[in-house]
Amino acid sequence: MASFDITDPNSFLKEQMMETLRLVMDPELHINIIDLGLVYGIEIEAPKKRVKVEMTLSSSYCPMGESIVSAVKNCIEGHYEGYEATVDLVWEPVWSYDSITDEGKRLLGL
Amino acid sequence: MSGIKQSPGLYKIVVTHYVAAAFCFLVLSVMMLFSVKAFTGHYFHPQILAITHMAALGWGTMIILGASYQLIPVVLETELYSEKLAWISFALFVPGLITLVYSFWVFVPGIHMQCGAILLLLAVLVFTVNVYLTAKKKKQETIQEDFIFSACICLCLTVALGVALVFNFTVSIFPQDQLHFLKLHAHMGLIGWFLLMLIGVSSKLVPMFLVSSYQNTKLLTYSYYLIVGALLYFLVDSYLYGLSLRTYLIFAIGAAGLTCYFIFILKCLRSRLRKHIDLPMMNSFLSFILLKIATLTVPFIIYFHLKNNPVTIRFSMIYGEFMLMGWITALILGQTFKTLPFIVWVKHYEHLTGKFKTPMPADLFADNLLKAQTVSYLIFCLTFMPGCYLLFLPLIYIGIAALMVTAMLYLSNIFIVLFHKTITYGKL
Repeated sequence: MASFDITDPNSFLKEQMMETLRLVMDPELHINIIDLGLVYGIEIEAPKKRVKVEMTLSSSYCPMGESIVSAVKNCIEGHYEGYEATVDLVWEPVWSYDSITDEGKRLLGL
Repeated sequence: MSGIKQSPGLYKIVVTHYVAAAFCFLVLSVMMLFSVKAFTGHYFHPQILAITHMAALGWGTMIILGASYQLIPVVLETELYSEKLAWISFALFVPGLITLVYSFWVFVPGIHMQCGAILLLLAVLVFTVNVYLTAKKKKQETIQEDFIFSACICLCLTVALGVALVFNFTVSIFPQDQLHFLKLHAHMGLIGWFLLMLIGVSSKLVPMFLVSSYQNTKLLTYSYYLIVGALLYFLVDSYLYGLSLRTYLIFAIGAAGLTCYFIFILKCLRSRLRKHIDLPMMNSFLSFILLKIATLTVPFIIYFHLKNNPVTIRFSMIYGEFMLMGWITALILGQTFKTLPFIVWVKHYEHLTGKFKTPMPADLFADNLLKAQTVSYLIFCLTFMPGCYLLFLPLIYIGIAALMVTAMLYLSNIFIVLFHKTITYGKL
């Protein structure tokens, strides 16, 4: 799960983007990718209007992987005009069930 | 960048197999309607042979081949080696199937039956080469890979033995009678092909669909060696000596392997994050129960066979019905609506997700039709199998009528998914 540095001038925008990414749902679980703990962090290059989302998938060859990645890019570019988004898929740390937020667990009925 | 990219070519291959299998399922139910009396006799009967091959090849194998092109890359975590080989396999498989099933139905064991069998053998060989070359691209070995590849080898051996049996009708190849080899042919197909393949694929998909935290594959390893060991032991022992008291031991080894797989599924179920179990998954769990029932009939087959009691034939029929029309059919009826909506959803919505509110994969099929399909299928199970055991024709008729309804509902729902029109519910 991403953390925010208050001294970072982009921290507010990062947090806003994280909130926006709650609109991206896992098509099988019907839970947003933030509460699933799939997004590890966001880097913003404000002058160039570039956003890099560092995230993972629940399995390295998740059949819905392409769709989720494409949804993340569409979501950022659709909500932040002029911004270009890229997604960096990482496998370290490996996603586990502990990555799910409390809200995610509540939504899953745990 | 990782993740399986679905190409339009792959989509066409997979969907073509699903549609062909759904039509075969409907044809199968019609064939059964015209063969009601045959279900009360011996399994070595032209119509039963035609029905069995339509069920095993046109329905079960066809859909497994189609789903494999989509799922094997997921399970083996690499891309499919060749789409062209997949089409070649399909082009050989369909005429082979039609010719073989028709030849069995009218029972003319000549050139047509032989050509059909050879076409089917070529089709499964091409499929196996494709799977092998797909798996070769991958570095890390998993137990699922062992299951899948062993299943493909068994499929080739099953069909090869089938070809030999077809030729044996006209040219004397085997010294023993046809029934002796039919047992080996059937078990190589049911256990070697279907069971190994379905365990291999489901052991990856069930935890994925349930979002289960159970990751240990030790039970699957035990399951693999016990089932493969039992199968090999059965093939050799049964070939040399026929059924004997040792067959009980072989059954116990195989049953232990199956139990390991069931425990694995149970552990996945208990540790699942997704508490709600949807209807397609319920169908899949029903299939596991039917597999258990099929397994429980085996000691009776052995017992009555050793006592030279003809009841063994009735138990053998029941066993085959529970395996093909029970376990495999229930699994397909459920898993189709877990896999096909995803495949179609990706095609329609991948570029729209994140921009617009879109339907989810589970919204692509008609839930009511699936509920009706499940009910009619349950009626089939509760009437057809007891009807065959009790040799009670009205129950068999009711069962087959219910199966025809199931097939029609299934086919309709497949078309609902395939003809889905892209819709959005406004911007996100």
